[in-house]
Amino acid sequence: MRIFSSEKMYTLIIGSGRLGASLANDLSEQGGNVIVVDRDKSSFRKLSPSFGGLTVIGDATNLTILNEAQIKKAEVVIVVTNDDNVNIMISQMAKELFKKNKVISRLYDPDRKSVYDGFDIDLIYPAILSVNEINRLLKKENKEEV
Amino acid sequence: MKKHILLIGGFNKTQALSNSLLKKGYQVTVINKDYHDCQKLAEISRLNVIFGDGTKPFILEEAKIHTVDIAIALTQKDEINLVICELCKKKFNVKKAVTLIEDPKKIEFFYKMGVDSVVSAINAITNIIEQQALLDDITTVIPVGEGRISITEVPIPENARTVGKKLLEIDLPKEVIIGCIIRDEESLVPRGDTRIKANDELILISSDKQEKAIRLLTGED
Repeated sequence: MRIFSSEKMYTLIIGSGRLGASLANDLSEQGGNVIVVDRDKSSFRKLSPSFGGLTVIGDATNLTILNEAQIKKAEVVIVVTNDDNVNIMISQMAKELFKKNKVISRLYDPDRKSVYDGFDIDLIYPAILSVNEINRLLKKENKEEV
Repeated sequence: MKKHILLIGGFNKTQALSNSLLKKGYQVTVINKDYHDCQKLAEISRLNVIFGDGTKPFILEEAKIHTVDIAIALTQKDEINLVICELCKKKFNVKKAVTLIEDPKKIEFFYKMGVDSVVSAINAITNIIEQQALLDDITTVIPVGEGRISITEVPIPENARTVGKKLLEIDLPKEVIIGCIIRDEESLVPRGDTRIKANDELILISSDKQEKAIRLLTGED
């Protein structure tokens, strides 16, 4: 395990699912410093063998774990667990308690969006993204038919 | 109009709370995502039961959230309780949102997020256990104001030094007042010249030093 020098900024990714892990692999490949947190050790198997970042096992809704993952030094916090409610709470903690500038979170259910009102948190909606993409593909197909 | 109270999640607490609230004349609705629990809860008469996930806005709408005065989140997950409270406050403008919290370290954070009242079962229980363990003469201690103030019930034994004395003759710590005396079936609000009798029950309201006051009041010669 490599310990980052303290001046270097790094990205904290919470949730090592398909999205979290592939993001971590990408960032690490591009030479970025990454720490990944997941409460299930086996999730880290999704990380590529060349992944050069750190992993922390634990429940990131717990302040002790967030501190262990050095959230204070993180430049960007990306919250992508598979539970909307967990994502909401962690990203709000990152904003409010740790005063992070850049917090990115995923929200499956767009109906819950209002919970994020008043916070400067960047959101990704997989459902809306997929709808847009499928619409785009449909339009393309229509054009081709014409 | 009757106040409308919405309880989300939980089973035993919800059951007890809805019984007590209905008895007091409130309109009560519960949301639970366990079908079996819903069936059990539906056995309570006059209770509206809704089967579903309380973090979903359409379920809250089904529970007529716009008429709700107080929403209480009782699930065992902090994140779920937080989201429920935030939805109630931000999306539906519910007047008051109350929640249980598992992790006492997050109490302050929850208040910051706009929850009106955060109840930590762990804090409340440890306070009670501590007080019960330290003071075996006390029958009941009720923490109020997040545990800063406690209301204590103190029975006066027959051989206590204070029996027959006027209240102004007892040098109580200034953090403690005697709010009420229960004598037989009567309750009286004491004055400085009220005399303490054996078997009285004193109701103390205190911010601190209740142990000292109790030792003073119940101590033998």
